[in-house]
Amino acid sequence: MKQPAKTKQLRVATLIAALVLLPVLFLLLSLFFGRYPLPVRDVLSALVRPQTVPLTARVTVWRLRLPRALAAAFVGASLAVSGAAFQSVFRNPLVSSGILGVSNGAGFGACVAIVCFGGGVYTYLFSFVFALAAVVLSWFAGRISRVTTTITMILGGTIVGAFFSALVSIMKYIADPYSQLPGITFWFMGSFSSVGYSHLLAAVPMAVGMLMIFLSRWRLNVLSMGEREAAALGLDVRRCQFLVIGGASLCTAAAVCISGTIGWVGLVIPHIGRMLIGNNNQKLIPVSMSLGACFMMLMDLLSRTLTGAEIPIGILCALIGTPFFVYLLKKTKGGNWT
Amino acid sequence: MILDIRDLTFSFDGEPLLQQLSLTVDSGEIVCLLGPNGSGKTTLLDCALGLHRTFSGSISLCGKDVLTCSRPQLAANVAYVPQSHTPTFPYTVLEVVLMGRTAQAGLFGAPGNADRDICRAALRRVGIEAFADRPYTSLSGGELKLVLLARALAQQTPLIVLDEPTSSLDFKNELLFLETLADLVQHDNIGVLLATHALNHPFFFETQGLRTRAVMLSKGQPAQCGTPTALLTPQTLLRVYGVRAAVLETTYARGSAVKTIAVLGSEPKDVI
Repeated sequence: MKQPAKTKQLRVATLIAALVLLPVLFLLLSLFFGRYPLPVRDVLSALVRPQTVPLTARVTVWRLRLPRALAAAFVGASLAVSGAAFQSVFRNPLVSSGILGVSNGAGFGACVAIVCFGGGVYTYLFSFVFALAAVVLSWFAGRISRVTTTITMILGGTIVGAFFSALVSIMKYIADPYSQLPGITFWFMGSFSSVGYSHLLAAVPMAVGMLMIFLSRWRLNVLSMGEREAAALGLDVRRCQFLVIGGASLCTAAAVCISGTIGWVGLVIPHIGRMLIGNNNQKLIPVSMSLGACFMMLMDLLSRTLTGAEIPIGILCALIGTPFFVYLLKKTKGGNWT
Repeated sequence: MILDIRDLTFSFDGEPLLQQLSLTVDSGEIVCLLGPNGSGKTTLLDCALGLHRTFSGSISLCGKDVLTCSRPQLAANVAYVPQSHTPTFPYTVLEVVLMGRTAQAGLFGAPGNADRDICRAALRRVGIEAFADRPYTSLSGGELKLVLLARALAQQTPLIVLDEPTSSLDFKNELLFLETLADLVQHDNIGVLLATHALNHPFFFETQGLRTRAVMLSKGQPAQCGTPTALLTPQTLLRVYGVRAAVLETTYARGSAVKTIAVLGSEPKDVI
């Protein structure tokens, strides 16, 4: 009778090892490829004994490729995990990380920064602040007679998203078509091309947000039963919602502010996770984190190596990810959704 | 006394729904909550579960005032089987039943192996242990109700509150569910508060030899309480529902008697 318990322990251990090792593997992989041709030997030396290689190799590996890969990992993990969390909170498998107007809010912030302050560091600052502002506004917009239900919150998010989207249009209209409009357009396609170590400051809110969700991961199952049942099962629904929605908003806002809008990841990575290991959030949350990080590092790697000019990562995510998703959908027969 | 409701008054948008209602549920006892649509059955259950907190009067659960209890404290004393449950994510049956252990899991905790054993035992108790690893979205309506009952059992509470659990079940599944419930009251000494539209349910439990009481709610009138035989008379049914009905008693050769309600017709408007 001991045998099943042992094999189960082994399975869990393997899963945890895979979840940790896989992103590390993709991170290393990201260091070896890029526009600047570096032999594998040079990259290895740059990693192990930086003094022995030329400056260009050191800079390429340590100051260009590594921070970029790290940023991609954090952004991918954040978007995926907040998508998974929102799906459970709102009891809707079609919801993604942008549900509370975060992306449009961040987009408006970026537009303001580009048009009024010439972009630069203001883009990150403004998009982060406006993304969080959008969430708070959604919450208030969804407040009907002092109560906020998940349905009215989604409604609030849609309203606020539409409002900011109109504001973005205004900014595009008044932006200088030669110097500012391209910046806005590229921001909306998403990119990691200008990421350096200073941008990794955004990893702090992402890490905090992911931790908040990670700690509440089993409670997400209970929350997805609906507020009434969750309360009857002994869950402090308000506190749990606050933790999860707060965490997911922090994650998404910080992710969007360094990468621009990258849609799709927050919807589909959680679903790939669901097909692979099931719907239990206890496993799904860490799996989404790991898969999201791997996926985004891979997409970033492709976006900077596939063609001479960099392909915006938002486009690539959708172009490569969708056929893969269809393949998985066929293969797992939809993961019990029917 | 597990549940002790005294002088409960609840108003909805200024309109009184429940007035001066007193009700008790003891362990090993089943109390059937009857009444037409909109008479306040679900509201009463919500008050007992601590979901509605704006009533006047007092409700105590295992000796403690529900208004002073935290959510985990409430969930340790009363479990709930909802009227309808719409599955969103295809969790496995065991994962759903494990949610019954929320109150014991702590703020950031998750159920452990001991909880898993409790949940498997709960599934065995309602006879669906074989389904443990199946997605609960693939079950039939009757099986789903048994999963929800198992989840309530996993909470290990002295009181279970059920809101029209059999309203969507077929003939056989309804009986299966009621028999399981009767067995729990009889052998596990659980107290049950059951809201139902089926007026034959109280008779069924009475026939099974359970301590059964029926409470008839009726909008704008004081609630009536009594044994099924005393309460469910043609007069009561005519007054509360406006339905002419007869209570039939069938006696079998072995001496057992079964009461059922036969509907004769709706009340003719010109008579009264």
